[in-house]
Amino acid sequence: MDGKLRELLDISENDFDVVVRITREEDIAIARQMAKQLAQELGFSLADVTKVATAVSELARNIYRYAQTGKIMIRKRLEESGGPTIQVVAADRGPGIESVDRVLARGYTTHERSLGIGLPGVRRLMDFCEIASKVGTGTVVRVEKRRRKF
Amino acid sequence: MDNNQVEMLVEELEVGNKHEEKLWRKLLLGVASGATGNDLRETIREPLFGLLHELGETALGAKLKLVIERTPTFPTAELLPLILELCGELRHDSEQAVRGLERMLSELATPIVRIWAEVLLVPLIGGLDSDRAQGMAERLLERVSTTRAKVVVVDVTGVPTIDTAAGGFLIETFSAVKLLGAEVILTGLKPEIAHTLVKLGIDFRMVAIARDLEDALRQAIAMIEEERSRQRKTAWVRGSNFPSEGGEHDGI
Repeated sequence: MDGKLRELLDISENDFDVVVRITREEDIAIARQMAKQLAQELGFSLADVTKVATAVSELARNIYRYAQTGKIMIRKRLEESGGPTIQVVAADRGPGIESVDRVLARGYTTHERSLGIGLPGVRRLMDFCEIASKVGTGTVVRVEKRRRKF
Repeated sequence: MDNNQVEMLVEELEVGNKHEEKLWRKLLLGVASGATGNDLRETIREPLFGLLHELGETALGAKLKLVIERTPTFPTAELLPLILELCGELRHDSEQAVRGLERMLSELATPIVRIWAEVLLVPLIGGLDSDRAQGMAERLLERVSTTRAKVVVVDVTGVPTIDTAAGGFLIETFSAVKLLGAEVILTGLKPEIAHTLVKLGIDFRMVAIARDLEDALRQAIAMIEEERSRQRKTAWVRGSNFPSEGGEHDGI
């Protein structure tokens, strides 16, 4: 887990189409807007565009809430085997998650004004979800969604 | 630098209008006067600020470059901190303006409309993040309590995405409205949002859902009618001692 986290934290920003730094609450809306735009460019259906935008909104809010600062990186992948894919990496050097299994269970939160369904929700909104975290080092969440064939 | 040189420079600067010409003359004469330190800064501050407004940073920079090239004695070192200061002021002003607009938006974007006797309509527009949404919720609760509204119709047609924070906010607001004794009807959920809500596990079943505003209004009126007929019945059971209880709101 440790190596994975370091690898993901050091991932190069240059490989991504969009990098949004999260420092203020308004940045959440910016990240969401960017995700929406990229998903639209890839030709995602309206429902899937909304899912991607919501997931990014969720990840950005987690950064803002728990780590205060971090970044959201988004890229389009056209050559993936499963079809055009949107990849999102949310990285922060915040407090880290004590137990990843626990945050993936519904209703767990350390925040008083939260429903505790954010991360499990993200996992269900996207096709792929990977979380690497270490207390005191930071958290990286990597998610993907493929364009559905009709 | 004497007055003749100032005139030549003004000529060379190809000023766009009389106002700009006046500002340049004032600035250059201020420099030519030989003042230094605070005196100089006081004299050239105003024309410089005017020029910054008139020309913008880039054009002013280009013209200042010309002036400095032509005038070896130009006090560039004095000018630099002053310009930074002025730019800071300009930025401060524009930040102030943006904040003002944000405040205005937050009030404009969340009207609370009385669409029927005892029915309030809240058309939500934009993201439901942050202070704007919080302010709306407070105003809504205030209105429900002062107008004794019985039904609140919340229309989310203008909300592009609902994440768990926005969903949590809505659920909190709905619960608070219900605590004040009013019912909530939610309408305007788009199909793509409905799908996302189910995936996220956000449950709005605590409130009535309507397909569109028309349906919402119909449901609201039905709720009020039901409430009235219950009141009338109570009044009738109690007998003629309380004749006004059921009758006072008759006819919409």
